[in-house]
Amino acid sequence: MKKLIFNYQSILFLVLILLIIVFGILEPVFFYPEVMFDVTAIIGEIGIMALAMTFVITTGGIDLSVGYIMQLSGISFGSVFATTGNLFFSIIVALLVGTACGIFNGLVIVKTKIPPIIATLATMNLFRGISFIIAGTDSFTGFPDIFKKVFTYEIFGFIPISFIYLLILFAFYHIAYSRGRMGRTLKGIGFNESSLIFSGINTKNSIFISYALSGVMSGFAAMVYLGRLSAARTSMGDGLNLQVITAVVLGGTSTMGGVGSVFGTLIGALIIGVLRKGFTLLNFSGNIFNFTLGMLLIVSLIVFAMLEQRDHIQKAKVQKN
Amino acid sequence: MKSKNFVTRESVLGLIVVVFMIFLSITTNFDSRNGVFSLMLDISPIMIGSIALSLVIVTGNIDISAGTIMGFVAFVAGYLSKAGVPFYIYITLAILTGGLLAFLNGAITVYFKIPSLVVTLAMNMVHLGFYATFLPNSGWVENLSASFTWFGRGSFFNIIPYIFVVAVIITAFMIFIMRYTRFGKSLYAVGGNRQAAIYSGINPDTTVLKMFVVEGLLLGVAGILKATTNNEIMPSTFQGREMVFIASAVVGGMNIMGGSGKLLGSTFGAFLVYLLSITMIYLGFQDYYQFALQGVVILIAVYITVTDFNKMKQSIDRKIKKLGIREAK
Repeated sequence: MKKLIFNYQSILFLVLILLIIVFGILEPVFFYPEVMFDVTAIIGEIGIMALAMTFVITTGGIDLSVGYIMQLSGISFGSVFATTGNLFFSIIVALLVGTACGIFNGLVIVKTKIPPIIATLATMNLFRGISFIIAGTDSFTGFPDIFKKVFTYEIFGFIPISFIYLLILFAFYHIAYSRGRMGRTLKGIGFNESSLIFSGINTKNSIFISYALSGVMSGFAAMVYLGRLSAARTSMGDGLNLQVITAVVLGGTSTMGGVGSVFGTLIGALIIGVLRKGFTLLNFSGNIFNFTLGMLLIVSLIVFAMLEQRDHIQKAKVQKN
Repeated sequence: MKSKNFVTRESVLGLIVVVFMIFLSITTNFDSRNGVFSLMLDISPIMIGSIALSLVIVTGNIDISAGTIMGFVAFVAGYLSKAGVPFYIYITLAILTGGLLAFLNGAITVYFKIPSLVVTLAMNMVHLGFYATFLPNSGWVENLSASFTWFGRGSFFNIIPYIFVVAVIITAFMIFIMRYTRFGKSLYAVGGNRQAAIYSGINPDTTVLKMFVVEGLLLGVAGILKATTNNEIMPSTFQGREMVFIASAVVGGMNIMGGSGKLLGSTFGAFLVYLLSITMIYLGFQDYYQFALQGVVILIAVYITVTDFNKMKQSIDRKIKKLGIREAK
């Protein structure tokens, strides 16, 4: 049988390039290198959370709480910094809060056997509520320059450092996912958890780690976000979970679990960044972006489902022959 | 069956609700005419909405876009009313809008075999973006006349709101449907064991699709009940209502895995969740504590149901082993 040259990820890559060209024709400023690198800067937090989310979705679960974990750890960073004024201590607290939220999610899902969708739906509201309780409607600003520099420094004057962080994390995740034991276990859990249990693998452990990692990454994403926008307020997590899930699903990770690609997730995040930047340049409102994002998620789900079904049909045909 | 067990989850919940109400009326002015009236006014859309979500949950699906569907329904009703369309026509059209939107959710879920959670999450965003982008004035309809609000604000004997009567009638009707009709039983069958449902001649796809349409119509009714109490409509304020409905349904004993739970339970669940939230207000907590409360309530309720369910499953497994029947795979 001839091997398919166009797999899902390469189609996605073409879509990305096509989008860039379309936006470039509509608004020639888009081709400027500063604008292109700005795209890589604005996907910082989404990309980082999407990497961890790829692991979670590969196990067949989902983490709806990422946006509000980010919000909670951003708010705790802001409030700790406002009271103590110690930057290092506040960063540690923020990362710990993110980690604690992730561990809480993981424990709830592994220990109580509540399905991940409903568990994280509940903890999403819980984290959102806690961040409101801490901050009310206040926002925290006035972070020192050194903090901004760590997360927005531009190497050679144009490459944003948050993109470098994203690439480093991407490399780790990609290796762990496609070559390591971790990735193999996660895919196995998504594909058929019972068979993994029977072959003596501690699946609970891996599931727990995937949710905990999601929390850690959300804490780190909060830092990246605050470095760029420097205001911690109680609306910073709104709608982020959808963007993160869109990036992952667009990247070709099946919501049923078992199949996925970290590279696809990176491209998915880039597509979201291009759309966001393009819409900003064309003076479209944020609502059109949300609308497009939702449509994009549905369309990519449908396309992916059809591709999966085609694969099933092909496999069935091969078995018949 | 002669020896019926009276200590069911529903009876316990009902008892809690009654005790809660007595407690509230002793400590606050809850038992005044205003307190009772506003309770009945506020609880009506929640009752219908929680029944709609219960149907979804019973089949093992979920609908995150329920709140924004209600927003659409409210907009259609308000806009048409403002345009001078007669009452019965715009009510019908608005309810049908709910059915149509939910049908869309269901069709994508069923035909492409995508988890309903992701579909409705995306739809939630599409709806919100749609309001702000394509609807006139971002969907904001204001200064609605009395010809729109008479339904939501009117009452029998100056104490029982029309909408509460409608909510009770629809609740009773849905309880009847779930208990005694083929459609209701097939919902439980599909949610409980899909394979067994197929073997007993139920088409799970059509059943789920039908269920989504019914859910949409119910959400349409809930949207109308909610919208007609105000003289202005802002569709995006309906976002997040689904969390209240899901909380009510799971508190009422709907198993989030699908297949078990009773509508009477989710009705009591709606009362309990609502009473909890107004207690928070009486105690002087800010509005946003509700988010955290809903999260905790859902977690605890689902935990209880899921552990019960797992215990039941284990005991069935043990019985099967005792009898020496091998599980057919």
